Amino acid sequence: MEAMVIDSEKIHERKQSDYNSLDERFEIQKEMYRGQQYSQIYFARLHLMRTLLYSLAPTWKPHLPVCKVLGLEKGKECIIVGTLFKHMKLKPCVLDEYSKERSVTPLVKPHNFMHPDDNLILEDESGRVKLAGSALSPAIYVTGVVVALHGKETNAGEFFVEDVLEAGLPPQIERPIDLQDDKYVVLLSGLCIGSKSANPLQFQLLVDHITGHLGDEEEQGLAAQIVHVVIAGNSVEFPRKLINGQNLASKDQSTLYEPIKELDIMLNQIAAGVSVDIMPGTNDPANFALPQQPLNRCLFPGSSPYNTFRSCTNPHSFDLDNIRFLGTSGQNIDDLDKYSEAKSKLDFVERTLRWRHLAPTAPNTLGCYPFTDRDPFLIETCPHVYFVGNQEKYDNRLLKGSEGQLVRLICIPKFCETGIAVAVNLRNLECHTLSFSTQINQS
Amino acid sequence: MASTAKNLKGFYKQTKSNITGGISKSKPSSRKVAPKHAAAQGSDVTQPAALISHGSLDLNEDYDKEEEMLRQFDMNIAYGPCLGMTRIDRWERALRLGMNPPNEIERLLKTGKVQQDCLWQGRV
Repeated sequence: MEAMVIDSEKIHERKQSDYNSLDERFEIQKEMYRGQQYSQIYFARLHLMRTLLYSLAPTWKPHLPVCKVLGLEKGKECIIVGTLFKHMKLKPCVLDEYSKERSVTPLVKPHNFMHPDDNLILEDESGRVKLAGSALSPAIYVTGVVVALHGKETNAGEFFVEDVLEAGLPPQIERPIDLQDDKYVVLLSGLCIGSKSANPLQFQLLVDHITGHLGDEEEQGLAAQIVHVVIAGNSVEFPRKLINGQNLASKDQSTLYEPIKELDIMLNQIAAGVSVDIMPGTNDPANFALPQQPLNRCLFPGSSPYNTFRSCTNPHSFDLDNIRFLGTSGQNIDDLDKYSEAKSKLDFVERTLRWRHLAPTAPNTLGCYPFTDRDPFLIETCPHVYFVGNQEKYDNRLLKGSEGQLVRLICIPKFCETGIAVAVNLRNLECHTLSFSTQINQS
Repeated sequence: MASTAKNLKGFYKQTKSNITGGISKSKPSSRKVAPKHAAAQGSDVTQPAALISHGSLDLNEDYDKEEEMLRQFDMNIAYGPCLGMTRIDRWERALRLGMNPPNEIERLLKTGKVQQDCLWQGRV
């Protein structure tokens, strides 16, 4: 008997891509803590950036001498290179706890610690000098950025800045131009499974769409073009009230890890169909300081046997079909938002790329591992897609560099609040949103 | 202040030169000393003239030419901060960052007969 033919069903095959992980620089298994302080990472950062800026200085201002801070002479125009330090009046200081004038109730902490009196100081290993002049705006810069400054020392002992040189966008490996097919990478973050605002149906819809269990043939065809999924942090939210220093009853213990179990079930569904990377975020069970280490595979007993499942560091970098991706779960940009200002979050993202440093405020205000011989947050090669997770709203920008670099900057919104995931096309770096809503009546 | 008394006793070392036993000067390969009180060191006021009785100042007992060279390497700011790293790690970092540190330092450190930690390790 003939096999029954059920109309002309097209079998969609998912497209494949070559994946190459570049997370080794963010792993700290080989590091050994010997009591070092953060001066080591600042030294490594200054040295590597200074070598770079010294090479750019002759093309910027050819006839000016380059000198160290201690070698400044009054009235002599020169170029100095060093790390910026922003002195901020409102920056919370641990010594405030010991202040005698502290009122009983804590003051309402402002979200942004900027103040009109903030001033910048440049520091290198020989000394520091206060910066004056309007060429360098304290509102834009933060502590930890390495720049070259052109100016001269004033009679007041300050350095009057006339011009600033940032490192600029790093060199980029050329994108392959022969990609004919549309291949999409889905980026999402802020699932917050376990929180009150998370809607399980929304995430289930997303998973069904990605795995091709949703929609008609056309939509399945679109889903078959998804080659990779990246979850950028804050996938779970634990009930914090249970973690209060007391021993947990066994009933509480099971409620504590419910969110992770639920996440594992969903990741299992995704991993069965497409390769997925999961990055830790602020609320995830990973270490606090950057670079956050991959979530332990024991947390995902259902998903970890799949070779399509990858637990990654935060920040995370990988190559997909020779398109370079670089992204974080948002801590670096959120910290910049506290200590500087910009019209949009993408301005912060662009600045980190121009400063060639993912998280300049680390270790000053952002937790960081005290590396001794390197600074893993330095961006050496320009990515093609640079994403930041856990932002308030979706935003994207195509940034063009002076040497032909082309970067797509993406702010991924929190999925639990917006129901929006982002899809990036590897062929032309264009992106669009995947929006999921479970409300039928919008009244 | 028992610890201070112990330190001062070791500080005001008065050895009789013709006794075979007594306090012998030894060169420790890995130094684990209690933090020396900075105020008790190197101050001329507290040092009586008796210390110079042997013809040389009795400060910094185990401090020879090689250690001096390593200390100069520690203090050189071009190679970055020295605290929190062993000397050989700092030398290797300097090499990796392209600073061309002198090879004699590496040779000395690889012999293993010198102190591997920097000058201030355990003291600050």
